[in-house]
Amino acid sequence: MIVRFWGTRGVLPVAATAAQVRTKVANALLAANGLDLKSRKDIARFIDENLTFAGRATYGGATSCVEIDAGNSSFFLCDMGSGLREFGLDALARRPGVRGGKYNIFLSHLHWDHIMGLPFFLPASDPNTQIVIHSCHGNAEQALRRQQAEISFHRPFEEWAADFHFITMQAGQDYVIDGMTVTAIAQDHPGASFGYRFTDGAGRSAVYSTDCEHNIDDMYQEDAFVAFFANADLIIADTMYSLAATSSTKENRGHSSNLVAIDLCRQAKAKRLALFHHDPLHDDAEIEQMHEDSLRYEKLSRDGAPLEVLCAYDGLEVAL
Amino acid sequence: MQVTCVRIGDSLVVAPEGRVDESTWKDFDSQLAGAVVQASRDGLPTLIIDLSRLDYMSSRGLRALTSAGQQGRTVGVTIRLAAPNEVMREILEISRYDRLFDIDDNVPTSGGP
Repeated sequence: MIVRFWGTRGVLPVAATAAQVRTKVANALLAANGLDLKSRKDIARFIDENLTFAGRATYGGATSCVEIDAGNSSFFLCDMGSGLREFGLDALARRPGVRGGKYNIFLSHLHWDHIMGLPFFLPASDPNTQIVIHSCHGNAEQALRRQQAEISFHRPFEEWAADFHFITMQAGQDYVIDGMTVTAIAQDHPGASFGYRFTDGAGRSAVYSTDCEHNIDDMYQEDAFVAFFANADLIIADTMYSLAATSSTKENRGHSSNLVAIDLCRQAKAKRLALFHHDPLHDDAEIEQMHEDSLRYEKLSRDGAPLEVLCAYDGLEVAL
Repeated sequence: MQVTCVRIGDSLVVAPEGRVDESTWKDFDSQLAGAVVQASRDGLPTLIIDLSRLDYMSSRGLRALTSAGQQGRTVGVTIRLAAPNEVMREILEISRYDRLFDIDDNVPTSGGP
Protein backbone atom coordinates (compact mmCIF):
# COMPACT_ATOMS: atom_id res chain seq x y z
CA MET A 1 0.00 0.00 0.00
CA ILE A 2 1.29 3.45 -0.91
CA VAL A 3 -0.27 6.59 0.56
CA ARG A 4 0.18 9.77 -1.45
CA PHE A 5 -0.54 13.18 -0.01
CA TRP A 6 -1.91 15.61 -2.59
CA GLY A 7 -3.22 18.24 -0.17
CA THR A 8 -2.26 18.56 3.49
CA ARG A 9 -3.41 22.05 4.48
CA GLY A 10 -6.49 22.79 6.54
CA VAL A 11 -9.27 25.29 5.97
CA LEU A 12 -7.84 27.36 3.13
CA PRO A 13 -5.31 26.85 0.32
CA VAL A 14 -2.14 28.86 0.86
CA ALA A 15 1.17 29.36 -0.95
CA ALA A 16 4.59 30.52 0.12
CA THR A 17 5.08 34.22 -0.63
CA ALA A 18 7.93 35.69 -2.67
CA ALA A 19 9.48 37.04 0.52
CA GLN A 20 9.36 33.62 2.19
CA VAL A 21 11.03 31.92 -0.79
CA ARG A 22 13.67 34.65 -0.92
CA THR A 23 14.45 34.09 2.75
CA LYS A 24 14.90 30.34 2.13
CA VAL A 25 17.27 31.04 -0.77
CA ALA A 26 19.26 33.55 1.27
CA ASN A 27 19.53 31.17 4.23
CA ALA A 28 20.64 28.32 1.95
CA LEU A 29 23.34 30.49 0.35
CA LEU A 30 24.54 31.56 3.76
CA ALA A 31 24.70 27.94 4.89
CA ALA A 32 26.71 27.07 1.75
CA ASN A 33 29.13 29.94 2.21
CA GLY A 34 32.66 28.71 1.63
CA LEU A 35 31.68 25.24 0.47
CA ASP A 36 32.99 24.00 -2.86
CA LEU A 37 29.77 22.96 -4.62
CA LYS A 38 30.71 22.33 -8.24
CA SER A 39 28.09 19.90 -9.47
CA ARG A 40 24.38 19.30 -9.11
CA LYS A 41 25.28 16.14 -7.21
CA ASP A 42 27.31 18.19 -4.68
CA ILE A 43 24.44 20.63 -4.36
CA ALA A 44 21.87 17.87 -3.90
CA ARG A 45 23.98 16.34 -1.12
CA PHE A 46 24.41 19.73 0.54
CA ILE A 47 20.66 20.34 0.41
CA ASP A 48 19.83 16.94 1.90
CA GLU A 49 22.49 16.99 4.60
CA ASN A 50 22.67 20.62 5.61
CA LEU A 51 19.22 22.12 5.27
CA THR A 52 16.12 21.27 7.27
CA PHE A 53 12.91 20.42 5.42
CA ALA A 54 11.55 23.94 5.96
CA GLY A 55 14.86 25.34 4.74
CA ARG A 56 14.96 23.40 1.50
CA ALA A 57 11.29 22.80 0.66
CA THR A 58 7.72 23.64 1.65
CA TYR A 59 4.92 21.66 3.23
CA GLY A 60 2.64 23.01 0.50
CA GLY A 61 -0.71 24.63 0.66
CA ALA A 62 -3.32 22.50 -1.14
CA THR A 63 -6.26 21.44 1.01
CA SER A 64 -7.09 17.87 2.03
CA CYS A 65 -6.68 15.14 -0.57
CA VAL A 66 -4.98 11.79 0.10
CA GLU A 67 -4.66 8.79 -2.19
CA ILE A 68 -4.62 5.24 -0.84
CA ASP A 69 -3.00 3.05 -3.51
CA ALA A 70 -3.17 -0.65 -2.79
CA GLY A 71 -2.73 -1.69 -6.39
CA ASN A 72 -6.48 -2.11 -6.86
CA SER A 73 -8.17 -1.72 -10.22
CA SER A 74 -9.74 1.55 -9.04
CA PHE A 75 -8.39 4.68 -7.37
CA PHE A 76 -9.10 5.36 -3.69
CA LEU A 77 -9.10 8.92 -2.44
CA CYS A 78 -9.89 10.71 0.79
CA ASP A 79 -11.51 14.10 0.32
CA MET A 80 -11.56 16.43 -2.64
CA GLY A 81 -9.72 19.49 -1.39
CA SER A 82 -7.73 21.65 -3.78
CA GLY A 83 -5.08 18.88 -3.92
CA LEU A 84 -7.53 16.90 -6.07
CA ARG A 85 -6.56 18.95 -9.11
CA GLU A 86 -2.92 17.83 -8.99
CA PHE A 87 -3.97 14.25 -8.27
CA GLY A 88 -6.23 14.29 -11.35
CA LEU A 89 -3.41 15.42 -13.61
CA ASP A 90 -1.06 12.82 -12.15
CA ALA A 91 -3.63 10.02 -12.46
CA LEU A 92 -4.03 10.79 -16.16
CA ALA A 93 -0.27 11.00 -16.70
CA ARG A 94 0.27 7.66 -14.92
CA ARG A 95 -1.80 5.84 -17.53
CA PRO A 96 -0.97 7.44 -20.88
CA GLY A 97 -3.40 6.47 -23.62
CA VAL A 98 -5.81 4.83 -21.18
CA ARG A 99 -9.23 6.45 -21.00
CA GLY A 100 -11.63 6.33 -18.13
CA GLY A 101 -11.12 4.55 -14.85
CA LYS A 102 -12.95 4.27 -11.56
CA TYR A 103 -12.42 6.67 -8.68
CA ASN A 104 -13.71 5.80 -5.20
CA ILE A 105 -13.76 9.02 -3.20
CA PHE A 106 -14.45 9.06 0.55
CA LEU A 107 -15.57 12.35 2.08
CA SER A 108 -14.78 13.19 5.70
CA HIS A 109 -17.43 15.91 5.52
CA LEU A 110 -18.78 18.52 3.16
CA HIS A 111 -17.04 21.69 4.26
CA TRP A 112 -15.67 23.79 1.46
CA ASP A 113 -11.98 22.98 1.87
CA HIS A 114 -12.75 19.25 1.47
CA ILE A 115 -14.76 19.48 -1.76
CA MET A 116 -13.36 22.54 -3.55
CA GLY A 117 -11.11 20.50 -5.86
CA LEU A 118 -13.91 18.77 -7.75
CA PRO A 119 -14.65 21.61 -10.22
CA PHE A 120 -11.01 21.28 -11.39
CA PHE A 121 -10.81 17.47 -11.52
CA LEU A 122 -9.90 16.74 -15.13
CA PRO A 123 -10.78 12.99 -15.16
CA ALA A 124 -14.42 14.00 -14.55
CA SER A 125 -14.48 15.40 -18.11
CA ASP A 126 -14.08 11.90 -19.57
CA PRO A 127 -17.34 10.00 -20.30
CA ASN A 128 -15.44 6.74 -19.66
CA THR A 129 -14.73 7.75 -16.07
CA GLN A 130 -16.79 6.45 -13.15
CA ILE A 131 -16.70 8.47 -9.94
CA VAL A 132 -18.23 6.98 -6.79
CA ILE A 133 -18.65 9.40 -3.92
CA HIS A 134 -18.79 7.56 -0.58
CA SER A 135 -19.96 9.69 2.32
CA CYS A 136 -21.63 9.26 5.69
CA HIS A 137 -23.46 12.51 5.02
CA GLY A 138 -26.71 11.96 3.15
CA ASN A 139 -26.50 15.34 1.42
CA ALA A 140 -23.13 14.93 -0.33
CA GLU A 141 -24.67 15.16 -3.80
CA GLN A 142 -26.47 18.37 -2.88
CA ALA A 143 -23.22 19.91 -1.60
CA LEU A 144 -21.30 19.05 -4.77
CA ARG A 145 -24.03 20.30 -7.09
CA ARG A 146 -24.45 23.50 -5.10
CA GLN A 147 -20.76 24.49 -5.23
CA GLN A 148 -20.84 24.39 -9.03
CA ALA A 149 -24.19 26.14 -9.41
CA GLU A 150 -24.40 29.51 -11.18
CA ILE A 151 -23.27 32.53 -9.14
CA SER A 152 -20.53 30.40 -7.53
CA PHE A 153 -19.11 28.71 -10.66
CA HIS A 154 -19.49 28.94 -14.40
CA ARG A 155 -19.81 25.23 -15.16
CA PRO A 156 -22.72 23.34 -13.55
CA PHE A 157 -22.26 19.84 -12.11
CA GLU A 158 -24.65 18.44 -14.77
CA GLU A 159 -22.09 19.17 -17.49
CA TRP A 160 -19.57 16.65 -16.16
CA ALA A 161 -19.17 13.84 -18.69
CA ALA A 162 -18.20 11.26 -16.06
CA ASP A 163 -20.68 8.84 -14.56
CA PHE A 164 -21.23 9.90 -10.91
CA HIS A 165 -22.66 7.65 -8.18
CA PHE A 166 -23.37 8.60 -4.58
CA ILE A 167 -23.29 6.05 -1.77
CA THR A 168 -24.23 6.88 1.81
CA MET A 169 -22.21 4.80 4.27
CA GLN A 170 -23.04 3.94 7.87
CA ALA A 171 -20.36 4.39 10.51
CA GLY A 172 -19.23 1.16 12.16
CA GLN A 173 -20.05 -1.10 9.22
CA ASP A 174 -17.39 -2.82 7.11
CA TYR A 175 -17.69 -2.26 3.36
CA VAL A 176 -15.66 -4.25 0.82
CA ILE A 177 -15.12 -2.00 -2.18
CA ASP A 178 -13.03 -3.17 -5.14
CA GLY A 179 -10.84 -5.29 -2.89
CA MET A 180 -10.46 -2.74 -0.09
CA THR A 181 -12.26 -3.02 3.27
CA VAL A 182 -13.43 0.39 4.45
CA THR A 183 -14.93 1.30 7.82
CA ALA A 184 -16.06 4.72 9.03
CA ILE A 185 -16.15 6.31 12.49
CA ALA A 186 -18.15 9.35 13.58
CA GLN A 187 -16.04 12.32 14.70
CA ASP A 188 -16.63 15.54 16.60
CA HIS A 189 -16.68 18.46 14.15
CA PRO A 190 -19.22 21.20 13.43
CA GLY A 191 -21.81 19.53 11.19
CA ALA A 192 -20.19 16.12 11.96
CA SER A 193 -17.26 14.47 10.20
CA PHE A 194 -16.17 10.87 9.66
CA GLY A 195 -12.84 9.08 9.70
CA TYR A 196 -12.11 6.08 7.49
CA ARG A 197 -10.00 2.98 7.97
CA PHE A 198 -8.74 1.27 4.80
CA THR A 199 -7.47 -2.31 4.90
CA ASP A 200 -6.08 -3.92 1.76
CA GLY A 201 -6.03 -7.58 0.79
CA ALA A 202 -2.63 -8.06 2.41
CA GLY A 203 -3.92 -6.74 5.74
CA ARG A 204 -2.12 -3.38 5.61
CA SER A 205 -4.18 -0.54 6.98
CA ALA A 206 -4.27 3.25 6.88
CA VAL A 207 -6.62 5.49 8.84
CA TYR A 208 -7.71 8.93 7.65
CA SER A 209 -8.98 10.96 10.59
CA THR A 210 -9.12 14.65 9.90
CA ASP A 211 -11.33 17.48 11.10
CA CYS A 212 -11.80 15.64 14.36
CA GLU A 213 -11.81 17.28 17.77
CA HIS A 214 -10.95 15.28 20.88
CA ASN A 215 -12.65 17.57 23.32
CA ILE A 216 -11.86 17.81 27.02
CA ASP A 217 -15.45 16.89 27.84
CA ASP A 218 -15.23 13.73 25.72
CA MET A 219 -11.98 12.23 27.00
CA TYR A 220 -13.89 9.24 28.29
CA GLN A 221 -14.96 8.50 24.69
CA GLU A 222 -11.46 8.32 23.24
CA ASP A 223 -11.20 4.56 23.69
CA ALA A 224 -13.37 4.26 20.56
CA PHE A 225 -10.61 5.96 18.57
CA VAL A 226 -7.92 3.80 20.16
CA ALA A 227 -9.88 0.76 18.94
CA PHE A 228 -10.38 2.29 15.47
CA PHE A 229 -6.64 3.05 15.19
CA ALA A 230 -5.56 -0.35 16.57
CA ASN A 231 -2.32 -1.69 15.04
CA ALA A 232 -2.72 0.47 11.92
CA ASP A 233 0.30 0.91 9.68
CA LEU A 234 -0.44 4.62 9.30
CA ILE A 235 -2.70 7.11 11.06
CA ILE A 236 -3.32 10.37 9.23
CA ALA A 237 -4.56 12.68 11.96
CA ASP A 238 -5.78 16.22 12.32
CA THR A 239 -3.01 18.01 14.23
CA MET A 240 -3.86 21.55 13.29
CA TYR A 241 -3.27 23.16 16.68
CA SER A 242 -1.20 22.85 19.82
CA LEU A 243 -2.87 21.08 22.74
CA ALA A 244 -3.11 24.39 24.59
CA ALA A 245 -4.90 26.00 21.64
CA THR A 246 -7.47 23.20 21.40
CA SER A 247 -8.08 23.62 25.12
CA SER A 248 -8.56 27.38 24.96
CA THR A 249 -8.88 29.76 22.01
CA LYS A 250 -9.54 27.04 19.43
CA GLU A 251 -11.86 24.89 21.53
CA ASN A 252 -14.98 23.67 19.71
CA ARG A 253 -13.49 24.48 16.28
CA GLY A 254 -13.52 20.77 15.45
CA HIS A 255 -9.76 20.18 15.28
CA SER A 256 -7.15 18.44 17.34
CA SER A 257 -3.52 18.50 18.40
CA ASN A 258 -0.26 16.65 17.85
CA LEU A 259 -0.06 15.46 21.47
CA VAL A 260 -3.50 13.86 21.49
CA ALA A 261 -2.76 12.14 18.17
CA ILE A 262 0.51 10.72 19.54
CA ASP A 263 -1.17 9.46 22.71
CA LEU A 264 -4.00 7.79 20.77
CA CYS A 265 -1.54 6.18 18.34
CA ARG A 266 0.67 4.97 21.18
CA GLN A 267 -2.29 3.40 22.96
CA ALA A 268 -3.48 1.86 19.69
CA LYS A 269 0.01 0.49 18.95
CA ALA A 270 -0.09 2.12 15.52
CA LYS A 271 3.17 2.09 13.59
CA ARG A 272 3.21 5.57 12.04
CA LEU A 273 1.49 8.89 12.48
CA ALA A 274 1.29 11.59 9.80
CA LEU A 275 0.64 15.08 11.13
CA PHE A 276 -2.02 16.50 8.82
CA HIS A 277 -4.39 19.41 8.16
CA HIS A 278 -1.81 22.09 8.85
CA ASP A 279 -2.95 25.49 10.03
CA PRO A 280 -2.99 27.95 7.08
CA LEU A 281 -1.68 30.60 9.48
CA HIS A 282 1.49 28.57 10.06
CA ASP A 283 4.52 29.03 7.82
CA ASP A 284 6.94 26.20 7.07
CA ALA A 285 9.13 26.98 10.06
CA GLU A 286 6.17 26.79 12.44
CA ILE A 287 4.99 23.48 10.97
CA GLU A 288 8.52 22.12 11.25
CA GLN A 289 8.66 23.24 14.88
CA MET A 290 5.42 21.35 15.55
CA HIS A 291 6.99 18.27 13.96
CA GLU A 292 10.10 18.59 16.13
CA ASP A 293 7.94 19.06 19.24
CA SER A 294 5.98 15.96 18.25
CA LEU A 295 9.14 13.87 17.83
CA ARG A 296 10.30 14.99 21.25
CA TYR A 297 6.94 14.22 22.89
CA GLU A 298 6.89 10.78 21.27
CA LYS A 299 10.27 10.04 22.88
CA LEU A 300 9.16 11.33 26.27
CA SER A 301 5.94 9.32 26.20
CA ARG A 302 7.30 6.11 24.64
CA ASP A 303 6.58 2.97 26.63
CA GLY A 304 7.11 0.29 23.99
CA ALA A 305 7.91 0.19 20.30
CA PRO A 306 8.63 3.65 18.86
CA LEU A 307 5.93 5.44 16.91
CA GLU A 308 7.24 6.94 13.67
CA VAL A 309 5.96 10.51 13.45
CA LEU A 310 5.90 12.01 9.95
CA CYS A 311 4.84 15.48 8.97
CA ALA A 312 2.70 15.29 5.84
CA TYR A 313 3.46 17.60 2.95
CA ASP A 314 2.03 17.96 -0.54
CA GLY A 315 3.84 15.32 -2.59
CA LEU A 316 4.79 12.97 0.26
CA GLU A 317 4.55 9.26 -0.52
CA VAL A 318 4.55 6.72 2.28
CA ALA A 319 5.02 3.02 1.47
CA LEU A 320 3.40 0.76 4.05
CA MET B 1 -2.30 7.83 42.42
CA GLN B 2 -0.82 9.36 45.56
CA VAL B 3 -1.82 13.02 46.03
CA THR B 4 -1.16 15.16 49.08
CA CYS B 5 -3.05 18.37 49.76
CA VAL B 6 -1.88 21.02 52.26
CA ARG B 7 -2.67 24.66 52.97
CA ILE B 8 0.21 27.10 52.70
CA GLY B 9 -0.71 30.71 53.42
CA ASP B 10 -3.72 31.60 51.32
CA SER B 11 -3.08 28.79 48.84
CA LEU B 12 -4.04 25.16 48.69
CA VAL B 13 -1.08 23.08 47.43
CA VAL B 14 -1.82 19.80 45.68
CA ALA B 15 1.13 17.48 45.09
CA PRO B 16 0.56 14.42 42.86
CA GLU B 17 3.23 11.73 42.60
CA GLY B 18 4.41 9.50 39.77
CA ARG B 19 2.94 9.57 36.27
CA VAL B 20 -0.29 10.96 34.94
CA ASP B 21 -1.05 8.74 31.98
CA GLU B 22 -3.88 6.65 30.54
CA SER B 23 -4.08 4.53 33.69
CA THR B 24 -4.05 7.39 36.23
CA TRP B 25 -5.58 10.44 34.57
CA LYS B 26 -9.13 9.81 35.79
CA ASP B 27 -7.95 9.74 39.40
CA PHE B 28 -5.85 12.87 38.79
CA ASP B 29 -8.83 14.60 37.18
CA SER B 30 -11.02 13.69 40.14
CA GLN B 31 -8.43 14.79 42.71
CA LEU B 32 -8.00 18.17 41.01
CA ALA B 33 -11.76 18.72 40.87
CA GLY B 34 -11.97 17.93 44.58
CA ALA B 35 -9.10 20.31 45.37
CA VAL B 36 -10.80 23.17 43.51
CA VAL B 37 -13.94 22.57 45.56
CA GLN B 38 -11.89 22.46 48.77
CA ALA B 39 -10.01 25.70 47.94
CA SER B 40 -13.29 27.44 47.16
CA ARG B 41 -14.95 26.12 50.31
CA ASP B 42 -11.98 27.27 52.44
CA GLY B 43 -11.98 30.70 50.79
CA LEU B 44 -8.51 30.24 49.27
CA PRO B 45 -7.99 32.19 46.02
CA THR B 46 -5.14 30.05 44.69
CA LEU B 47 -4.65 26.36 44.02
CA ILE B 48 -1.00 25.48 43.43
CA ILE B 49 -0.23 22.20 41.71
CA ASP B 50 3.18 21.07 42.93
CA LEU B 51 4.70 19.16 40.02
CA SER B 52 8.00 18.34 41.73
CA ARG B 53 7.15 14.67 42.31
CA LEU B 54 5.56 14.13 38.89
CA ASP B 55 7.67 12.22 36.36
CA TYR B 56 5.39 12.56 33.34
CA MET B 57 1.99 13.84 32.22
CA SER B 58 0.14 12.75 29.07
CA SER B 59 -2.28 14.84 27.02
CA ARG B 60 -5.18 13.61 29.14
CA GLY B 61 -3.46 14.82 32.30
CA LEU B 62 -2.80 18.17 30.67
CA ARG B 63 -6.44 18.44 29.65
CA ALA B 64 -7.42 17.61 33.24
CA LEU B 65 -5.44 20.74 34.18
CA THR B 66 -7.57 22.71 31.74
CA SER B 67 -10.76 21.28 33.21
CA ALA B 68 -9.62 22.26 36.69
CA GLY B 69 -8.72 25.74 35.43
CA GLN B 70 -12.19 26.14 33.92
CA GLN B 71 -13.80 24.86 37.10
CA GLY B 72 -11.65 27.21 39.18
CA ARG B 73 -12.67 30.25 37.15
CA THR B 74 -16.33 29.61 37.97
CA VAL B 75 -15.64 29.67 41.73
CA GLY B 76 -12.88 32.29 41.88
CA VAL B 77 -9.92 29.94 42.33
CA THR B 78 -6.80 30.56 40.22
CA ILE B 79 -4.56 27.62 39.39
CA ARG B 80 -0.77 27.95 39.27
CA LEU B 81 1.77 25.27 38.47
CA ALA B 82 4.98 24.96 40.43
CA ALA B 83 8.36 23.21 40.47
CA PRO B 84 8.20 21.11 37.29
CA ASN B 85 11.19 18.85 36.70
CA GLU B 86 13.01 18.96 33.37
CA VAL B 87 10.66 16.49 31.64
CA MET B 88 7.52 18.19 32.91
CA ARG B 89 8.86 21.61 31.91
CA GLU B 90 9.49 20.29 28.40
CA ILE B 91 5.99 18.78 28.18
CA LEU B 92 4.47 22.08 29.28
CA GLU B 93 6.50 23.85 26.60
CA ILE B 94 5.74 21.35 23.81
CA SER B 95 2.01 21.45 24.57
CA ARG B 96 2.14 25.28 24.91
CA TYR B 97 0.58 24.87 28.36
CA ASP B 98 3.27 27.26 29.57
CA ARG B 99 1.09 29.89 27.85
CA LEU B 100 -2.10 28.76 29.60
CA PHE B 101 -0.81 28.60 33.18
CA ASP B 102 1.57 30.62 35.32
CA ILE B 103 4.48 28.41 36.31
CA ASP B 104 6.55 29.07 39.42
CA ASP B 105 10.02 27.60 39.87
CA ASN B 106 9.34 26.68 43.48
CA VAL B 107 6.46 25.81 45.76
CA PRO B 108 6.00 28.52 48.40
CA THR B 109 6.95 27.52 51.92
CA SER B 110 4.68 30.13 53.45
CA GLY B 111 2.45 32.95 52.29
CA GLY B 112 1.45 33.41 48.63
CA PRO B 113 3.33 32.34 45.49
